[in-house]
Amino acid sequence: MSEETPREHRLDLVIAFLIAIVSLTTALAAWRTNAVGSAAGDATRQGLIDAVKKQAAANEDWRKLYEEAAYAQSYAVTLAGVEAMEASRDTTAAAQAANMRQYLLPSIIKLSDPLGTDPKYQLKDGTYDLAMRFADIEAESPDLMKLDPQVSFALAGWYNSEQRWLMLGTVLLAISLLWLALSELGGSRMRLGTLGIGVIIYLFGLAWFFFIEALFFFLRGGAL
Amino acid sequence: MSETVVGPQPSSGTTPPLATLPPAKARPNPDRWKGLVIILIMINTILVAIIAGLQTDANIRANTANSDSQYYAVLASGELQRQGLQGNYDMTTYSRILDNIQRSLVMQFTALQQEQNGDKAGAALSTLQGQVAQAQADTAKKFSIFYQDPRYAPKGADDVPNLQSYVIDSTAQANALVAKQNAASDTYKKWSGKSDSYVAVLTILAITFFLFGIAQSVNPRLRLLFAGFGITVMVLGVGWGLVILIG
Repeated sequence: MSEETPREHRLDLVIAFLIAIVSLTTALAAWRTNAVGSAAGDATRQGLIDAVKKQAAANEDWRKLYEEAAYAQSYAVTLAGVEAMEASRDTTAAAQAANMRQYLLPSIIKLSDPLGTDPKYQLKDGTYDLAMRFADIEAESPDLMKLDPQVSFALAGWYNSEQRWLMLGTVLLAISLLWLALSELGGSRMRLGTLGIGVIIYLFGLAWFFFIEALFFFLRGGAL
Repeated sequence: MSETVVGPQPSSGTTPPLATLPPAKARPNPDRWKGLVIILIMINTILVAIIAGLQTDANIRANTANSDSQYYAVLASGELQRQGLQGNYDMTTYSRILDNIQRSLVMQFTALQQEQNGDKAGAALSTLQGQVAQAQADTAKKFSIFYQDPRYAPKGADDVPNLQSYVIDSTAQANALVAKQNAASDTYKKWSGKSDSYVAVLTILAITFFLFGIAQSVNPRLRLLFAGFGITVMVLGVGWGLVILIG
């Protein structure tokens, strides 16, 4: 068996160092790729939490609106009956109507507050502006109204896209590692060739990785 | 340590001429086919990279569809809740109208009977009660979607509101959201299945790496055999990968 020349020994050391560096870089790239995937999962989770909170608040707002609307309608219908009784020439009916107007109607309209009491909700035809009331009820919870699940879902989309492209960079780094390993194991004729291919793929993969990171950093508006 | 001697042994101190020695057997090259296996490893690495990329992509698509499905489920449940509240309000209003109309008719009918029987005071009271009920029915109509919305309002005086159209319209939004939710759920199942299958293909290609690795460490004849096994497994993996990709 022939002795290893000093030149080959130096090359062995260089390849060994390169393998160590590329292994470390690949491990870091794999970590970052997974971290980005995890950030996408976190953003999705936040979006779903926001969606549930917002929907629960909207459900309660609708319930409140229709509760007020039912009482307001009940008031209007009862009032119509009272007015019909007042319009008659029957003294008994008039007396009943007077008492209903004094004692019954105020109680009913109180239940519909503020839809039935605030003039801004009253329409010309005697009905009520339910859309305006619903908007006002929603405005009473500005924190919940500010929640926008789509923002979180869009962020998750960016992270998912970045993860796809980072995965490509990680695979390139892994491929470069394979070529470097081949240069360590292979015969002397093909060592330099495989080493060169490995180094080129490594540098390309590294450049790709940083380019994708920088690109998506700006696309996400500065969020890591 | 004995030395291997090639050719016949020398006899009694005489050295035979070199020309009579049989030619030495050429030693088989132990590195034979190693270059081929290296190329196969390289091909397998590229295939692994491609499948890994496809697996990641399928996984991301599955996750996105999964979150979409959950989001639409939340929206659908909210819409069902809203539609239930609105439906309850609309139907209560409608039943109030019907109740007052019938009450008014009954009172007017009673007033007629009382008048025929000579009970004028009773007839006046029944007439008044009928007027009150009618006034309440007329007011309730102003609040009813079945009388205010031209899509459902009765076309003639003797017609009834179009309740069927109302039911169809009021559930349309919830049905659309449920349809989207189902579609997203189907998409999730599709991509999740693909993602799982790609993992199986990656495992097969990992076995290929193992076979090529063994091929590198054995003698040239066995090297070819193991390389053949590796190629077979690799082709199976690629075939399966293509089926997943197309399917």
